[in-house]
Amino acid sequence: MTIAVMKTKAELAIAEQFAGVIGSLPGGAEVARARRGAMAVFGEMGLPHRRIEEWKYTDLRVALKDPVPPPSVIDGAKLTVGDLIVALGPYMELDAPRIVFVNGHYRRALSNLSGAEAINVVPLSVNFETLAEVTGDAVSALNTAFVTDGAVIDIAAGVTIEKPLLVVCLAAGRDALSSTVRHKITVGADAKATIVELFLTLQGSAVEQHMNALSEVTVGDRAQVTHVKAASDAGRATHLSNLVVTLGTDAGYRGFALTSGQALSRNQVLATFAGEGSKLDLSGAFLGRGGDHIDTTLTVDHGVPHCESREFFAGVLDGRARGIFQGKVIVRPDAQKTDGKQMARVMMLSPDAEFDSKPELEIYADDVVCGHGSTAAQIDEDLLFYCQARGIPAAEARALLVESFIGEAIDKVEHEGVRAALAQTAREWLAS
Amino acid sequence: MLEIKNLHVKIADDERVILKGLNLVVPKGEVHAIMGPNGAGKSTLAYVLAGKPDFEITDGDILWNGESILGLAPDERAAKGVFLAFQYPMEIPGVAGLTFLRTAANAVRKKRGQTEHTTPEFMKIVREKAASLNIDYEMLKRPVNVGFSGGEKKRSEILQMAMLEPTLCVLDETDSGLDIDALRIVSDGVNALRSPERAMLVITHYQRLLDYIVPDKVHVLANGVIVKTGDKDLASELEKTGYAEFEGKAA
Repeated sequence: MTIAVMKTKAELAIAEQFAGVIGSLPGGAEVARARRGAMAVFGEMGLPHRRIEEWKYTDLRVALKDPVPPPSVIDGAKLTVGDLIVALGPYMELDAPRIVFVNGHYRRALSNLSGAEAINVVPLSVNFETLAEVTGDAVSALNTAFVTDGAVIDIAAGVTIEKPLLVVCLAAGRDALSSTVRHKITVGADAKATIVELFLTLQGSAVEQHMNALSEVTVGDRAQVTHVKAASDAGRATHLSNLVVTLGTDAGYRGFALTSGQALSRNQVLATFAGEGSKLDLSGAFLGRGGDHIDTTLTVDHGVPHCESREFFAGVLDGRARGIFQGKVIVRPDAQKTDGKQMARVMMLSPDAEFDSKPELEIYADDVVCGHGSTAAQIDEDLLFYCQARGIPAAEARALLVESFIGEAIDKVEHEGVRAALAQTAREWLAS
Repeated sequence: MLEIKNLHVKIADDERVILKGLNLVVPKGEVHAIMGPNGAGKSTLAYVLAGKPDFEITDGDILWNGESILGLAPDERAAKGVFLAFQYPMEIPGVAGLTFLRTAANAVRKKRGQTEHTTPEFMKIVREKAASLNIDYEMLKRPVNVGFSGGEKKRSEILQMAMLEPTLCVLDETDSGLDIDALRIVSDGVNALRSPERAMLVITHYQRLLDYIVPDKVHVLANGVIVKTGDKDLASELEKTGYAEFEGKAA
């Protein structure tokens, strides 16, 4: 391990933590070797910082100043189905099968997979040797080094599941922990599924929980996948995530991410078109206040012709919150007839909030349609007057207008129940 | 009764004075029309009645039922029964029409000390009123006014008015952008609300609307003051002579 390049306290602490827990982390010799390899990569890279272009606005060397909470190696938190129901809140209304992880460890007693018999859902921990190494940045390397569990979801060709499948990651306990999960979702040809990933903090638990989550999604030919993620923690969480999506031919992937209640959040998405005629729709809503820092960084890679990508993100920033949207669209030389559009909009509720938007179009093909846009606005005073003239008090009218602003993004979610639950989560955050 | 006394209004961030000592009385049960040339201050009067913050009252007062409403926020005025039908109704993306109607109706009911409508009650009332205004109920599930035609927006205003049960209705150029069929539907909607308990102020540039909503009195507003008052025949007269004789008169 090349300790020499490690500079910050957090980097040193992470290396120390790894040395302390490597013997207790799940998996055999192969997995341990992969972990050590990943840790060596992290050792060389260190935490991402502002001189790395993709991390320009989110310098983890600066942001992770405080001691990083210890890794969650053993599942010690006590909680009941009742606790889970409270934590799930509006998502309980969904009547959906669920696989539940607490502090990064599978909980059979809290999971309920009835209704998901047509698909294969198992925790990674039952066969850890399937853990694949992911090439990528330091955050992915840390994921490989520390991962304890995750959902492995296989949907066979031609299978359709009507009910959404919930993949729940709960943070619980009086002391904050660093949890690491890895989900792998494979959707066969002509299959159709809705997967909802939830990241929640149990009421009464420490609010400074850390999560490193990595999800890999493979969408088979002509398959249709809706993949929703709601990371709605208790307020001071750190959430570092990577989502890697690969689409086959004539496939469809609709991704949505709601971020709220997190002090530091990095949602990184890499979507690659591997087959022609596919459609990608990425959308999301982010809600920040206080000193929250919420970063959405997308890379959409059009490597083949005749594919369509859409990105629409809406944010609400209050206090000194900072929102970041980076959207890179790569159109490779062969990717003729690519149709790519991108939009990021924020509503600034405070003069001290900040929004940084960086679209990046790298186009190497000549017959393409690509566009991007970004807006930052305040509450429209004329609309506010209109609402008040209809008897709605100013505070309520403001909330209604902010909600409607976020609602435009949430409306991208097609599943009615999931959409309602997301809207409820956003409403609760706005009212809190 | 609406009493406007010596009202002087200027634009808040500007030195421009719009209303220059306007006096007007509209008793309950009556419909009064305000007519006048462009730029006379008609829309300003409508906005000031509803409490739009872009204007500053430099002198005078507005009394509704004997009480000054100048210190009241727009929503408080709405609770007291003031309703402005906008010349250009706003679009609110992301808020379904029904949600907006219900939020508004319940907000004023609460402030008036009435119980909030239950969902079935509310649905029933909306369905009836929408039908009478020829508004497709499905349209109300869409965001407020988004993608509506000019006529649909105006009908949507009258539906809001009917739902909020105001006692002072101010209609700002409700006829603008309406074809003859829409004009009839909107006018029928307004006429249905005429009652001994309600005062109405109908602001219009043209006499046409007043063929459908027949006023008890017609006032001519020019250069920030009422320059002439008459009965409904004054409107037809103005249609022939135009506003030329009033322009510059008060300046």
